[in-house]
Amino acid sequence: MLTLQTWIVQALLVFLTTDSIGGLLDPCGYINPESPVVQLGSNFTAVCVLKEKCMDYFHVNANYIFWKTNHVTVPKEQYTVINRTASSVTFTNIPLLNSQLTCNIRTFGQIDQNVYGIRIISGLPPEKPKNLNCIVNEGKKMMCQWAPGRETYLETNFTLKSEWATEKFDDCEAKRDTPTSCTVDYSPVYFVNIEVWVEAENALGKVTSDHINFDPIDKVKPNAPHNLSVNNSEELSSILKLTWINSNIKNFITLKYNIQYRTKDASTWSQIPPEDTASTRSSFTVQDLKPFTEYVFRIRCMKADGKGFWSDWSEEASGITYEDRPSKAPSFWYKIEPSRTHGHRSVQLIWKTLPPFEANGKILDYEVTVTRWKSRLQNYTVNGTELTVNLTNDRYIATLTARNLVGKSDASVLTIPACDFQATHPVMDLKAFPKDNVLWVEWTATNGSVNKYILEWCVLSDTLPCIPDWQQEDGTVHRTYLRGNLAESKCYLITVTPVYADGPGSPESIKAYLKQAPPSKGPTVRTKKVGKNEAVLEWDQLPVDVQNGFIRNYTIFYRTIIGNETAVNVDSSHTEYTLSSLTSDTLYMVRMAAYTDEGGKDGPEFTFTTPKFAQGEIEAIVVPVCLAFLLTTLLGVLFCFNKRDLIKKHIWPNVPDPSKSHIAQWSPHTPPRHNFNSKDQMYSDGNFTDVSVVEIEANDKKTFPEDMKSLDLFKREKISTEGHSSGIGGSSCMSSSRPSISSSDENESAQNTSSTVQYSTVVHSGYRHQVPSVQVFSRSESTQPLLDSEERPEDLQLVDNVEGSDGILPRQQYFKQNCGQRETSPVISHFERSKQGSSINQEDFVRLKQQQISDHISQSSGSGQMKMFQEVSTAASFGPGTEEQVERFETVGMEAAIDEGMPKSYLPQTVRQGGYMPQ
Amino acid sequence: QVIPPFSAPGLVLGLLFLSTAATGSCSGKYQGLLEQLRSQADYMQDTSRLLDPYIHIQGLDTSGLKEHCKERPGVFPSEDALWRLSRWDFLQILNATLGQVLHRLTTFQQDLPQFKDLGMVMLYIRGFQSNIHCMCQLLGSSSEAAKPTQASPAPPLPTLASDAFQRKLEGCRFLSGYHHFMHSVAQVLREWGKSPRRVRRHSPRQALQKGAHGTHLFSRGRRLAPSGQLPW
Repeated sequence: MLTLQTWIVQALLVFLTTDSIGGLLDPCGYINPESPVVQLGSNFTAVCVLKEKCMDYFHVNANYIFWKTNHVTVPKEQYTVINRTASSVTFTNIPLLNSQLTCNIRTFGQIDQNVYGIRIISGLPPEKPKNLNCIVNEGKKMMCQWAPGRETYLETNFTLKSEWATEKFDDCEAKRDTPTSCTVDYSPVYFVNIEVWVEAENALGKVTSDHINFDPIDKVKPNAPHNLSVNNSEELSSILKLTWINSNIKNFITLKYNIQYRTKDASTWSQIPPEDTASTRSSFTVQDLKPFTEYVFRIRCMKADGKGFWSDWSEEASGITYEDRPSKAPSFWYKIEPSRTHGHRSVQLIWKTLPPFEANGKILDYEVTVTRWKSRLQNYTVNGTELTVNLTNDRYIATLTARNLVGKSDASVLTIPACDFQATHPVMDLKAFPKDNVLWVEWTATNGSVNKYILEWCVLSDTLPCIPDWQQEDGTVHRTYLRGNLAESKCYLITVTPVYADGPGSPESIKAYLKQAPPSKGPTVRTKKVGKNEAVLEWDQLPVDVQNGFIRNYTIFYRTIIGNETAVNVDSSHTEYTLSSLTSDTLYMVRMAAYTDEGGKDGPEFTFTTPKFAQGEIEAIVVPVCLAFLLTTLLGVLFCFNKRDLIKKHIWPNVPDPSKSHIAQWSPHTPPRHNFNSKDQMYSDGNFTDVSVVEIEANDKKTFPEDMKSLDLFKREKISTEGHSSGIGGSSCMSSSRPSISSSDENESAQNTSSTVQYSTVVHSGYRHQVPSVQVFSRSESTQPLLDSEERPEDLQLVDNVEGSDGILPRQQYFKQNCGQRETSPVISHFERSKQGSSINQEDFVRLKQQQISDHISQSSGSGQMKMFQEVSTAASFGPGTEEQVERFETVGMEAAIDEGMPKSYLPQTVRQGGYMPQ
Repeated sequence: QVIPPFSAPGLVLGLLFLSTAATGSCSGKYQGLLEQLRSQADYMQDTSRLLDPYIHIQGLDTSGLKEHCKERPGVFPSEDALWRLSRWDFLQILNATLGQVLHRLTTFQQDLPQFKDLGMVMLYIRGFQSNIHCMCQLLGSSSEAAKPTQASPAPPLPTLASDAFQRKLEGCRFLSGYHHFMHSVAQVLREWGKSPRRVRRHSPRQALQKGAHGTHLFSRGRRLAPSGQLPW
């Protein structure tokens, strides 16, 4: 239904169109030529001729004509008005185009009207076809081919023409899709020359190729021989007979053949000499083949005179030659296993199966004989490739033969040396290298009488045991390749053992790779020691399983977070390396790559941080600082010590305890006994200053310098004691004792003593139980002892007893100031150290001593007092260690005693605050 | 009625073919052309091309019938006669005979559409004629070719039997004679290849026959009549 409607519409359209052409679309003119095909690069001229009727109607002539190509007006320079009705346009050097050319007129001065239009097609004429050749596939029709030449851009027809001398054949029109060949539609007739040529034709011309004249039989490609078969011969193990069926072309021509063959596993073909197969035949016997070997054959043929084409190869056919006796003795070797019984050893004889080209058949079994010198031989028949025999430690000869269906091989002879045999003469210059995808081994013999060489190899591994493989080479061979199934990236340990007539020589080994590869893993680097500016890295050698080749070198890459990476190459023999010139207190990232000949592999990245200070640098800083601090402190202490009075004055001036103060006056005219306990005798106004003035009488026999020396010693000890003192009590005790020893700080002493009630006594004692040469005195600032001693006569008795038992003790006591603290003075501590074991309270002892003195004074009515003065004077004479001190000492009162030449006593007086008054 | 190829009109037609039918160029090499002629003769004497298929198709391949399928003497020129001919005459007779054979095969083709190889054989015969044309051209330029020879004999025109079986037998005998004739042609052409100057005009046997019967083209010794029909 739809088809019918379409047909009706089309018919109606045709009708209307046809009607319009006659009436509505009558053109005003025409263009000549109507359908031009223009050659590329040529000139083209078109002429537009107007009709008279149209000219009259529109009142135009040829001058009104203008041209357009593809709706673009052609410049008027290209127009030529031929006459009143005709105008031409010329195009030069026509390019490759397919354009529309229209002739137009301008009517009524402004209306453009199309008169006629044509389409210009450009192209090239055909070139002469070249290289025309024909082929006659047997049983098929002749096909000819040619080279068509350049592109014409136009529809070009190729026609193959052929004829005999007496008749023509039908033309063969090349198909559009295969314009370069054509197959004729008649069967080829052999032995008649045929003339063939090709005509190429398009709108711009026709051209003919060269004619070729040939006999189709000379263009034949025969069908391949078929039914190829191969048969062997039991008489001859080296031949195979081929038979085949020729194609029918043999009825017309003489054939020649190519016969090729190869062993089954080979890839390259061998060819029978062509001169042996230069004529038509249907069988051929191939000779000089290997026994018991499968061969593959193929055959092709062509016209014997070489004209025409080779046929395709026939289908391959194979055959196996008949067996022959093994052509070679098997490779033969042995291993000696550890002996279990004394005098015997277990020897494993091993051999290799013969390759097919040497076995020449199926090996049925092996015959092994083992013979000891001048003894009966032992025969074994073995199907496998090893035999273990228990032998004595003597020398043995073993032989091996392989047997197949046809016969036995020659015997392999092997000498198994005695146990005490010393192997010598190893091979020299052993080398192993890969080449052509096999691993070659090369060596130099040291002894010319080598029977054979045994090559053993195994894969070196950290995890797997070394499972050796081996092969045998003749004694004349110095270079061979390992015929095992070797793997790439594996380290092989290869051992070459020369075998001499009397036994094996010393083995020589070498490592090699069939093909190296980059390591599977990179080395793991770590730090062994990290310094401020350097780091010692260390790593382990890569396991052989991951090396995949010989490690040629390592490269250490290290960088900071922001810095560029630095690479350092390290020899493969090293396992540690020191990175220097590092920045302190910096995080470094380091990794390491190991390289073989084929490339490298990075190991894991490792980070470390360099310390801020080098080793010992902190100590170098801290120790001097500490020392400086100590020194400063010491200086400060000394300074404070020197300025202690001033400091004391400003910081903790002595505030007298009124409850413990009393007023006393010492005078030569007053009775020697004082009641210090009487509170009534204290100063009532609170002012105090008891000055204990010691007058030293120079009645001692010792010379003054000696005394001064003793005093100096004492002073040193005193200073030393002060140096160890600490705390208020110690400090105050020292400060209070100092003026008693040295009167150099006269004014200050006056101030100090003015605020305290001071007692003093002569301490005639040596240092640490030594008997001093002079008596020194000490002073106590205590305000009470004397009073207490008077109240406790038992203490006095005790002291007497002590004094009687140990005469040193009384001389070691000295006065101390009771500063409200109990015996914390380092002086006391020192003293306590010096009299360890004494359980007597020092204070009580002092009291006792003072009581004694007091008693002496009171009982001897001046003589005792005089005695005390003598002691004090002795001590005073050695007080100051320097002249200045002596002078200061003299200013206190000694000067008067010395000047007067008689002992004078200074009694304590009540002095007003701010000073004391010497009497 | 079939025009006998070896009659005067047939000969005239044959000569006309040789002189006017040429369209292409010949190779111009005598030895090559001679070899082609020889190969064609060898090809055509093979009974597997025509006779055997014909016998098979016509159902004559039984032991009793095969014996009757033998050449009838006098239909094709004998080998002796061919030996006596000059090359020019030989080629003319050969060409005329092939024309006759073509004519007869055309009849077979109409009667035996199942005879597929017939068209191929006819094409080969036409090719043979093309080579004869070229050889004639080649010989025509030589003195021998230009020299007029004895009138070429023409084979007798066989009579078509009305009986179908007889027609089968006649066809079989004709093809047998054709193959034999081509064998003789091959023999003659093989002699041509030795040397143009050594080509014998008469074989020893021919000489004997010549002495006994005079010059005869056909084995039965019948002289070729320039005109008229000869019995089969």
